[in-house]
Amino acid sequence: MTYQIPARNERTQPIRIVPGYPQTPWRNPKQPLIKRALTLSELTGPAEVAKRVKLLGGDIAGHGERQAIGQLMHLRLRIVDEDGSPVGGTMVEIWQANGAGRYIHPNDDEHAPVDQNFYGAARLLTDDTGAIDLRTVKPGAYPVPTKDGWWRPPNIHFSLFGKVWLSRLVTQMYFPGEPLNGQDRILNAVPDAQARERLVARLVPPTGDPHNALVFEHQIVLRGRKATPAQP
Amino acid sequence: MKKRTAATRGKPARKPGKSAARQRLVPTGEATIGPFFPPRYVDAGANDLTQFDDHKAAGEVIEIFGVVRQEDGAPLDNLVVEIWQADAKGIYRHPADPRHREADSRFFGWGRAATDREGRYAFRTIRPGAPRGRARHINVMVMFSGLMRILKTTMFFTGEGANEADPVCKAVPKARRHLLVAREEAHGRYRFDLKLRGEHETPFFDD
Repeated sequence: MTYQIPARNERTQPIRIVPGYPQTPWRNPKQPLIKRALTLSELTGPAEVAKRVKLLGGDIAGHGERQAIGQLMHLRLRIVDEDGSPVGGTMVEIWQANGAGRYIHPNDDEHAPVDQNFYGAARLLTDDTGAIDLRTVKPGAYPVPTKDGWWRPPNIHFSLFGKVWLSRLVTQMYFPGEPLNGQDRILNAVPDAQARERLVARLVPPTGDPHNALVFEHQIVLRGRKATPAQP
Repeated sequence: MKKRTAATRGKPARKPGKSAARQRLVPTGEATIGPFFPPRYVDAGANDLTQFDDHKAAGEVIEIFGVVRQEDGAPLDNLVVEIWQADAKGIYRHPADPRHREADSRFFGWGRAATDREGRYAFRTIRPGAPRGRARHINVMVMFSGLMRILKTTMFFTGEGANEADPVCKAVPKARRHLLVAREEAHGRYRFDLKLRGEHETPFFDD
């Protein structure tokens, strides 16, 4: 039994070989990708992946003496499917640079200091409304070692599982009004302007936080619809 | 704006289910996983699918390993490989599989590995059974710095008569099909190298 689903609009997804991003021409397939009818392999998936890995708490900004350096913020993330229905109980992996633009990773060089109070990773499950609340510091921008002045704007990375193999997603979120957004080669690899705008979080009035932290809202749409596929 | 009529007055303006059916949202744009995916997200044991909740899965233990290279043959370090597969009876642990109630409760079916400096990855798993209408196979995805989108492929097993009739195998031009078939280097040890671009390029799927 095979299934068909509508293809994504290519203009809402990034081009694969990105001018000025020197690794991309070496690693992306030269042959056209092969179309296939979908089977249970793509329409099932590790929906309960949190049973296989460890979750990591959603408060990564630290407290008191151990507070991370940077602009304190909350990210209110909401995960929905293509019908707009919340995707509850799905694992989201989040990672980001510290307030100075440095990642805790052996691959990051020493252009900016490590913050001892900031690791920069959270692994969370959405609640029934598809929501996640992350308390963090706003990431700094950072240079890419291309030697031509490319800096990544402040961004937060996400890896999401959704319900099925087809809904797996790796994406990045940007901040509104950042001067580096307009020239970022990764953000601008998405041809459609509205699709790019949807990668940018919304600043909303602070509410309820004793430290008046900044609050950003962001929605991520996973592939798939609420309806389960017809049974074979 | 539509005016509410007498018939709809007093009712919710839209039933949530109905409004959802009308509104089709556009899936969020993908982006590269970048070079800084946290090492602790490649959990110890995430590449060993033979155990779940401290119980051993049913079936024959096999190993799947290989090297991932780019166009110039350079091995790729710190690349993330994920797999998803059916259990020994060919059943997926997921409600969309009509047989999921019979699935092996000691087998989860998902794993993650990262490549080392030589571009090597490895999984220990269970030889999957053939899901209905398919040859036995393992679903593979690759995420890496410089890959703006996840690359998806399928690994088949050598010597399986069902391979030629498999709908995914058949979608691949004949001359390239062998690139999806893992080589059995020793009993139960399967080599599945991935070439992201260029000569012997692994077939990847558009889905």
